[in-house]
Formats: sequence, C-alpha cells, structure tokens
Amino acid sequence: MNCFEARQDFPAFWRRSLDSDRRAELLAHMKGCAKCDRAFRTFALTAPVLYSDAEPKSRTTARPIARDARRIAAVSGAGAGARRWLAMCASVTVIAAASFAAYLSVTAPVGSLTDELADTETSAQLFEQDFPASNSDFGS
Amino acid sequence: MAVRPDEELVAAALGGDSAAFSELAGRHRPRVERICQRFFSDPEIARDIAQECFLRAYTALATYRAEMPFTGWLRAIVINLCYDELRRRKRRPEELIGDFSAPEVQWLQMVNDATPEELVGAAEERREAHDLAHRLLDTLRPEDRMVLILRDSENLNVSEIAGMLGWSEAKVKIRAFRARQALRKQAERMMAAGRTGKQP
Repeated sequence: MNCFEARQDFPAFWRRSLDSDRRAELLAHMKGCAKCDRAFRTFALTAPVLYSDAEPKSRTTARPIARDARRIAAVSGAGAGARRWLAMCASVTVIAAASFAAYLSVTAPVGSLTDELADTETSAQLFEQDFPASNSDFGS
Repeated sequence: MAVRPDEELVAAALGGDSAAFSELAGRHRPRVERICQRFFSDPEIARDIAQECFLRAYTALATYRAEMPFTGWLRAIVINLCYDELRRRKRRPEELIGDFSAPEVQWLQMVNDATPEELVGAAEERREAHDLAHRLLDTLRPEDRMVLILRDSENLNVSEIAGMLGWSEAKVKIRAFRARQALRKQAERMMAAGRTGKQP
C-alpha cells in the first residue's frame, strides 16, 4: 500500500467499512509512515462531522454554560420532537387547505354554474334569433 | 405492506393527500437533518433548517420532475438553505484557539497520542470531538465548507457539485483544494495547542 492508497482509505476506516485485510494493511502502513500517521490525525479532527453518520450520544462532561443548558432543555424536553413534528404537519395541512381553497376559487362549481347559465342564456337567445317564435309554430 | 416509491407519494401529495407528504417527509427527515448537522453544531438550528426545507419542498412540489431522484431534489433545497444560513453568519476564525474546555483538551491530546483505532472509537462517544470539528470547519468560507461537505460527506463528484451550484468544474476543484489546505493549516494549529495542553 502506498501513501495515496492509504489516504484514500481514511474515510472507510473511519466508518469501519474496510475489510479486515485492508484495515490491517492500512494500520501497518500508518505505523511505518510518519506522514500518513500525521495526515490521519489531521483527518480525525474534522471526521466527526464530515465522515460520521451519527451524532455522538452526549458530552462526556456537561458544559456549565447557561445558554447551552437552556437550549438542551428546550430541545430534549419530553415530547419536544413530537411537538415540532406536529407543528410541521399542521403547517403543511394549512398550506394544503389554502391551496385547495385557491383552487376552488378558480374552478369552483359557482363559476361553472354561472358560465353554464350564461351559455344557456346565449343559446336561448341564439335559438330565438334563428327560430323566432312567430316561425316556430309553423303557423299557417 | 409494500413501500410506496417517492414519486408515487409526490403525485399523491400534489393531488391534495397531505398524509402522503407526511410519509415522504418522515422518510427523508433523518437524512436531511444529518446534512444540516454537518453545517451547524447547534441541534436546534439544524432541526429548524430541516423543517424549513420540508415546508419549501411542499410549496415547490409542483416543480419537482420525476426524472431526477427525489433525494437529490430535496438535497438541493437543504444545501441552499444551509448555505444561505452560513452566509448570514459571521465567520470567526480568530476564535479557533484559546478557549478549550478540559474535555476538548483531552480530545486534542488523544488526537496527538492515541492509536488510529482508539481515535475512531473515542470520537463516536465524545461530543467535544464533534464540537471541535465544527469549530475547525467554521473557519472556512461558506462556499469552501459547502464544497467539502458535498464532496466528502455527500460523495458527490466534481461535475455533480458544479451542476448543483451552477459553478464551473474548475471553480469546484479550486475551492476544494483551498478548503483542504486551509483546514490542514488550522488543524495543525489546533493539534499544537493540544500538545501544549492550552486551556482557558
């Protein structure tokens, strides 16, 4: 394994997805290569954000900062996640209702009925023009 | 019961079925939140942006085209929101060194001295490893940080990133290169602070 190959494997090693042979090869390489060992340590400083798939469970020691404590309390309070989720669903429902109302205002039966009545009236007028009442009975 | 594909749920949501959109949001929520967490260390901000992402997705659902995966479409929305929020915030590169808590110093000492295997295990358990990583990434320009996240965390290639951001491929490569260089420099400074055990 050369240095390029070793560094390509850092993300997979961090995610524990390297097979055991490759993993052993990488560890052996880092043991014998000071530059790659150094590069891995630099990599490890950002890997918890860039390459980890999950957040760490908790702080090893609580930070005595009131602002942090308030935030944690607000976020981790019982049902906070569920409330947030419900709020989002409610927002979506309101938007859906508003969209539907807007849709109705454009294509509502009221409009269609008016159009229909207008059409009926026009048709009747046309009918009357084409076939005046005086002619319609084919009077003698 | 068979899992309904994203495209089917989108069509149902567009037809007025809000439960279909809720199912869609529930399915993609963890991934969207994870992307936000790569940009912001504060879980509250990450959740707020994730929520905003789904509201935007809902209102723009009619613009979604089934030819592209829904995940990619949603990712573009959340990345844009995170980028806007990053730009809104001020970078504070000068705060990188000089204010480490005791657990943070311990983590930095581990980074200097522990074996690679010990580091991987310890990082999973230590919140401060996560915090310091954010502190390092906070020193980057917003566009540099975004490129790194898209390239390294989301595994997008240069042309995909260029397409998503409307940049040239050369610009993406230059940004990624500069970001890595800057990050390496700052990481060396941080590790040096860890060696001296610098603490407030």
